[in-house]
Amino acid sequence: MLQDQLDKLLQSILRAHEDGMDCESCNAEFECLAEQVAAGGDIHALLPAVEAHLTCCSDCREEFEALVLIIRAENGGLTSQLTD
Amino acid sequence: MIERTNEQWIADLTTSSAGQTQALQDLRERLQRGIFYYLSRERSDLAQLSTQELTQMAEDLAQDATLRVMENLDSFRGDSRFTTWATKIAVRVAISDLRRARYKDFRLDDVTAEDELLPAAANLNNHNPLPNPESAAERSDVMTKIDSALREALTDRQYQALEAVALRGVPLEVVAEQMGTNRNALYKLVHDARRKLRTSLEAQGLSMDYMMDLFQD
Repeated sequence: MLQDQLDKLLQSILRAHEDGMDCESCNAEFECLAEQVAAGGDIHALLPAVEAHLTCCSDCREEFEALVLIIRAENGGLTSQLTD
Repeated sequence: MIERTNEQWIADLTTSSAGQTQALQDLRERLQRGIFYYLSRERSDLAQLSTQELTQMAEDLAQDATLRVMENLDSFRGDSRFTTWATKIAVRVAISDLRRARYKDFRLDDVTAEDELLPAAANLNNHNPLPNPESAAERSDVMTKIDSALREALTDRQYQALEAVALRGVPLEVVAEQMGTNRNALYKLVHDARRKLRTSLEAQGLSMDYMMDLFQD
């Protein structure tokens, strides 16, 4: 636990990127990017600045991953029923 | 359900007619299915809820999301599918709601500079015993410098935000709400704090690589 706390701090500092895309700018790219990632696109190749922000921002990362998950499920016909 | 182009979605949702009622229903149901899928497949913290409870939760969230979509319809740029854009909004609504519920007892005022943010070096050494006293002393020295940098390089607000977000893992929007700011501004505050801390540590000759190596198990 103690080691974990120190690791979190050091990792947090290490992940601070220089260009600093903020949450709003990142979110504005989500819908286009999520469609491409859901179709197999590589986020690093598509929009590295968004990838850098997602590495630093767990809020945005959680939302982006959820969006990709749902798009993939819809594309695969997995959300056609409300319940299992 | 009718398949619509982006233009048809916008036309149907903005025209006062029976078509609008149907489009709203279709949108709400589509968002509900996506949210239900997310809640039931990805949220282990909701695993104790029954299918009926999850269905109700998804229905309520989809209702809120549909309203949010309608409020923001003018901001749809048309460079993705309309339904993807609407789902983005629904995801934000759903996850924000879950965050607020999970952190309902969190109080930022409990996070103060008087806290011992980092473990005392002695505790860390007990936790990860080192083979020789020199290494233990080196860790202790570096820990003191990190602690000093945290207290001296950062403002109280930055310190509080960094601890809450980076160490305790509290979502930005939960912390932002209690700080009376917004998520975007808080992200910038935390980002600046990280950079200031890094600069301060490097000015003391402490590179990130060196510290990571030193505190490895």
